[in-house]
Amino acid sequence: MLTPPELVWLLAAVAKRDRAAFERLYVATRAKLYGIVLRILRRADLADEVMQETYLKIWNSAGQFDPALASPITWMVAIARNRAIDMVRKKSEVSIEEESDVLEVAADSPDPLAKREMTEELRRLLACMGRLEEERRRLVLLAYYGGWSREQLAARFEKPVNTIKTWLRRALLEIRECLGS
Amino acid sequence: MTDETDSPDMLAAEYVLGTLANDERTRADALRASDPRFERLVRYWEHRLGQLHAMVQPVEPPPDIWARVQARVAAAEPGSVMLPPDPERTAQAEGNVIRLHRRLGRWRRTAAGLGALAAALAAIIVTAAINPGLLPAPLRPKPVEIAKIVEAPATAGRFVAVLQQNAASPAFILTVDVASRTASVRRVSAEQQPGKSYELWLVSDRFPAPRSLGLVGTDDFARPTLAGYDPSTISDATYAVSLEPEGGSPTGAPTGPVLFAGKLVEAVPPAP
Repeated sequence: MLTPPELVWLLAAVAKRDRAAFERLYVATRAKLYGIVLRILRRADLADEVMQETYLKIWNSAGQFDPALASPITWMVAIARNRAIDMVRKKSEVSIEEESDVLEVAADSPDPLAKREMTEELRRLLACMGRLEEERRRLVLLAYYGGWSREQLAARFEKPVNTIKTWLRRALLEIRECLGS
Repeated sequence: MTDETDSPDMLAAEYVLGTLANDERTRADALRASDPRFERLVRYWEHRLGQLHAMVQPVEPPPDIWARVQARVAAAEPGSVMLPPDPERTAQAEGNVIRLHRRLGRWRRTAAGLGALAAALAAIIVTAAINPGLLPAPLRPKPVEIAKIVEAPATAGRFVAVLQQNAASPAFILTVDVASRTASVRRVSAEQQPGKSYELWLVSDRFPAPRSLGLVGTDDFARPTLAGYDPSTISDATYAVSLEPEGGSPTGAPTGPVLFAGKLVEAVPPAP
């Protein structure tokens, strides 16, 4: 992965329709985005389609990226996740993966880049998530990494959907309060 | 549920997390487009929760995705279908940069602060600037746009675009009178597909996303309105037809494949 300033620079070039920069951006970010969407969709054909839509969107919206509001990678990750969630909600037949496999990711990553990517912001977020009740932390992680819906979470945790919604929102509210403004 | 958990902030948070029910998600999508305050909340959560990406193991995608991304980029912007560079195309690209100028204002301010970095990167970028046109032929995207002048009952300031996939089979012919901002679309060979509609889009640098001009092809003639667009937007835009669910795109943006596209060619110059 390139450094954030390098990615900012590439996105600026992509906004000016620089195809070489676009290819470089793709090479630098494709494995990260594919890992994210594949984990949510769990089907290569759907993940391929979402990857295409994601990069098309990046190409078309690079001019809207605002370095004051996001880092390049969180901006691109958000586009990819958003598309993947849209897709997974439309394809209800996509089966739910074993939970342990989803959570493994968050527990311990062999990704050599992770250390470099351990930003101050990530440290703060993890500290805040660490303060959540364990079950609620698992809800948030399953939703974030696995793209689980409220219904899927409700089935897994054997709770009504409305309870899951309340738990999710309380967890998110706690995260928000912990992170401060 | 308390008021606090029912706030727009929590709606944005759950939207980003991806757990909203489908109808709430649709509403949140609409809010994003219409309410800048809500969009800021979404950006906040995207950035905060997005930090979690660092723990996802990267997975190398299949190699052919890049070629398909390039093909779709080219299809969305037929004016810059990837071909070996030629002077005319370069000039056109520069024109695009000029048109992007205003939108890029913010970018330029950012870029100014990055001047030193840019210099340091220049060498890398030059090395990386492998012309996509040098791709082996099978990987090159199939050009989907060939615009040509057709014989049309021409009046002053009339433009024509042939929207087609290949030269042998024009699918739609779009005729535009820029002065009066009226247009007509004639279906030539595009076949009706059961349960699907063809939707016409205006694609312009001036807008972040394609603008729908309505459905075409249900009758042999359609009269999309261009009243909301200024003449230079109309004449510079690319026109594309996508295949959508019956009744048109449910999202307001093209959701199906872009099958045909073309740019306007001046059939007769405006009267002096």
